[in-house]
Amino acid sequence: MVIFKNRGQMKIQQMAFMLVGVFFFFMLVGLFLIRVQLGTITETVERLEQESAIESLEVIASMPELNCDSVTSLCLDRDKLGILSGDTIYSDFWPVASIKVYLVSSEFETEILCPEVNCNYYEIFDNGQTNKKEVSTFVSVCETATESGYVYDNCEVGKLVVGVNMQEE
Amino acid sequence: MKVIYSRGQFNFTWLFAIIVGSMIFFLAIFAALQFGNSQRTAVDSSVAKELNILTNPLQVGFGEASYGSIIFNKETKIFNTCFEPAQDFGRNELSVATRSNIGEEFNTPGISTKTPNKYIFSEERVIGETYYILSKPFFLPYKISDLLFMSSKNYCFRDTPDEIKDELERLNVPNIFLEGCSTDDSVQVCFGEGANCDMKVFGTCSDSTCDDLFETGKVLKDGESLDYSGNLLYGAIFSDKDLYECEVKRLLYRSQKVTEIFIKKIDLMGSRGCNSNLKSYLLIFANNLEGASMEDLAALYSFGRDIDTINDKEHCSVW
Repeated sequence: MVIFKNRGQMKIQQMAFMLVGVFFFFMLVGLFLIRVQLGTITETVERLEQESAIESLEVIASMPELNCDSVTSLCLDRDKLGILSGDTIYSDFWPVASIKVYLVSSEFETEILCPEVNCNYYEIFDNGQTNKKEVSTFVSVCETATESGYVYDNCEVGKLVVGVNMQEE
Repeated sequence: MKVIYSRGQFNFTWLFAIIVGSMIFFLAIFAALQFGNSQRTAVDSSVAKELNILTNPLQVGFGEASYGSIIFNKETKIFNTCFEPAQDFGRNELSVATRSNIGEEFNTPGISTKTPNKYIFSEERVIGETYYILSKPFFLPYKISDLLFMSSKNYCFRDTPDEIKDELERLNVPNIFLEGCSTDDSVQVCFGEGANCDMKVFGTCSDSTCDDLFETGKVLKDGESLDYSGNLLYGAIFSDKDLYECEVKRLLYRSQKVTEIFIKKIDLMGSRGCNSNLKSYLLIFANNLEGASMEDLAALYSFGRDIDTINDKEHCSVW
């Protein structure tokens, strides 16, 4: 049993407990604010990444490395898709987590990576991130062909799918 | 009635309260300042990211030119740093510091946003509330990328060639004045010789294949000369020399990679019976582009124009 020898000693202990209590109270308030703030930052980052990816769809489709020419929008060159599939030089260049182009003129059940026979998609880039959200747009996928001396663009319907970086949980 | 038994008791209790109380008080102030600083850093980092996203729709895409402006609600410093290609495409890094009424006027810039696929020409530190962004494509001879020219200053273009004048009038860029601005505070850009010019532009494209004299040339400013070709003219006007040289190197590196793609494309087209005579020219062009810099622009532009003419005459054109 603690015996206080005088009232002053008792008051010091009361005040010490009070001050420690006040200190911990402010600590908890601070931690709560930081937690709320971090949550807001995470949400902002996710929103910005998604906005960026949606904007990137047109930017990527108009890049000279992929597009048919410098005048046709949302048109991808099939030859260029083949050349860039698995090309590692561009891995740090793309502003997104992944880029795939599906050939969707005919239905398919299994995905076959080009340049295999009867392939139905090109994988231009994938940074390996598992936690990502995909946005897409329909595009024309064309190649220059020739028949009986005539040159023409042989096109089919494609789908450009872009993966958005999401925060790792 | 409160009785104080001894002076020692009074002093120690109050002394203890004052010391610990002020410690808590200062800790709280310190924590609040730290929290405020990290809050500003978070906001500035977010603004840099937003800025990167906002410039996406401002890119010209398939048009000839586009213009847009970004307005901040308070004065903002934008730091634009360019990194030259080093086994990659190089990059721009944008960071932002906003003005604050508490603490330092401008915080240290927030976390920078990397943009490896954009070419942003500006001064390395730009300050202002309203930023004007002009976008033009860069061809060598095929399209390589969109160029973004960012500025918060006003410019006065004097004796502007008709082609440039017509386009700027169409775009109605608010910070580029074409007439009646020779005495105000704007940056004076003279095409050819002139008095009281901050910079002078001299066209060097004088051979018969050029459409106009200013297709290639030099911009003289701050005692230095910046070579340009095509729409890089605006880059030379709006940028610092170091940043301009770095951006040109990035563009030429990318031109080389795009040329290599076209070389491979010629092989694939040939396998379908669509032959082209351009491969040997493109191999030389890719070789010339390797390690090229600002001084090589005029020669590359001329060579590019020649291969573009050949491509137009091809049965199966490559671009």
